[in-house]
Amino acid sequence: MTRSGRLGEFLPPLAFGLAVLAIWEAGVRLLHVPAIILPPPSAIATRFATSMPTLAADFRQTIQGVLAGYVMGSLAGFMAAILVDRSQFLQRGLLPIGNLVSALPIVGIAPIMVMWFGFDWPSKAAVVVVMTFFPMLVNTVAGLSVAGAMERDLMKTYGASDWQTLLALRLPVAMPFVFNALKINTTLAMIGAIVAEFFGTPIVGMGFRISTEVGRLQIDMVWATIVVAALTGSLFYALVAGVERRVTFWHASYRAKEA
Amino acid sequence: MKTSLVALAGAAALLAVGSAHAADTVTLQLKWPGGPDIAPEQVLVGGGADVVVDWMPAALAAREKGAEMVNIAQPFKRSGLELTCRADTGIRTPQDLKGRTLGVWFAGNEYPFLNWMAKLGFKTDGSPGGVKVIKQNFNVDPLIQKQADCISTMTYNEYWQVIDAGYKPDQLVVFNYTDQGVSTLEDGLYAMEDKLKDPAFVDKMARFVKASMKGWDYARAHPDEAVKIVLDNDSTGAQTEHHQTQMMAEINKLTEGSDGRLDPASYQQTVKALLSSGGADPVISKEPTGAFTTAVTDKALAK
Repeated sequence: MTRSGRLGEFLPPLAFGLAVLAIWEAGVRLLHVPAIILPPPSAIATRFATSMPTLAADFRQTIQGVLAGYVMGSLAGFMAAILVDRSQFLQRGLLPIGNLVSALPIVGIAPIMVMWFGFDWPSKAAVVVVMTFFPMLVNTVAGLSVAGAMERDLMKTYGASDWQTLLALRLPVAMPFVFNALKINTTLAMIGAIVAEFFGTPIVGMGFRISTEVGRLQIDMVWATIVVAALTGSLFYALVAGVERRVTFWHASYRAKEA
Repeated sequence: MKTSLVALAGAAALLAVGSAHAADTVTLQLKWPGGPDIAPEQVLVGGGADVVVDWMPAALAAREKGAEMVNIAQPFKRSGLELTCRADTGIRTPQDLKGRTLGVWFAGNEYPFLNWMAKLGFKTDGSPGGVKVIKQNFNVDPLIQKQADCISTMTYNEYWQVIDAGYKPDQLVVFNYTDQGVSTLEDGLYAMEDKLKDPAFVDKMARFVKASMKGWDYARAHPDEAVKIVLDNDSTGAQTEHHQTQMMAEINKLTEGSDGRLDPASYQQTVKALLSSGGADPVISKEPTGAFTTAVTDKALAK
């Protein structure tokens, strides 16, 4: 892709974003909207700039729960999917339970996790594990079924064992599905960790900051934290998408872009 | 919320008593703040209620931020906030709190605590030589689960929850904010300043305050009946007579002697305490103006 082509990709969203910010700023000022209902972007930017230490500390606290939960939940879902693949019995038993677990509301699980694992980030990681387990399980199971009949026959003619077929054929082919789940899980991990912090936390963390600053009517700080969360979430997603591009370079969806 | 149903016993009692006084009829729609940690100021400013029950430090802090809320009545004359510690932690005096893990409520209830810690010289950000704070929900689990050495309790609610959980009074060390000299005014009634410019609204509020105070007087004179009225009006069915009776007895101690009027001396004491709370982030940075009005209570008591 040419240099100007890549720049051309960024320009429309950038212009659109700036326009939204400009309308927001003008609207709030012209209509005299009270700051405790909706602060102007300039106030949020000022608060963001002056509260860097607090926002950085909050980020460091929350990200532990996010990353630990993300890794553990995705790994657990992945391994459960391999097990399910090996055993019909597990497939019939584990998938419905996974479904049930994913339907549990965070506002119900979070206080229980806090009671089990304490107020610090482990309880937030536990909530994230519960949320990220099922998407990973379901997507990996779907991915494992995608290897074509011809390719599987080829492996049989090579005398490959079940494990060799799994590692050489079925897992690589399942990667687009696995990364699908990994991308979904980045969002779920962010949401899970932040919302779980509403229910018991040491006094640092993005969820803590949002809930208490709302109570103090410091809405510009709430928005500043939202900005941090949005940036983190986007970066996380972009990172996973970048890795996906490397691992699944062979996939048809990438071919279309190059042309 | 910490005040639960008994705090509205005044209103509930008036539902029974007030119905006999047709001239003072007032239609009440009681709303509970929905969701965890919704501060009363948010509901008032957002237009979700005409009048809210709030603690004065939170209301003054909100007023300084631009929320033009005004105190119209002060039913609670005394403060019921305390810090309850397990005796097995070895804590005996406030100075022993250094380095300990303390549970604190937020959503407006943290200001008296921050005030007290500033007075004791303890930082609350977790730095060494200060105290470690965790955001406590409106329950006593952190103390029972030993996740905190001390937790915030109200004399009328959470303290009894700890006792009901099996702790004996001699297994607990309680620091009452009033005894420590750091108490601030608690449950008062607040309305928005612009609404109070309307005489019809002031009249409506005056009738509500008058009926409320009648209810509180009734609750003090007939606590058992008041508890029954509260339980009859409890649509959730979650409250027990045992718990509500304890709460009623304690809350009556806090409303004793109040006719609804805000005592200017108590107001000044709270303001002074908040102004001198010191540190980089005082609760309020300047003397509030127009933060309370006697218009409603004058009207209510004149009737």
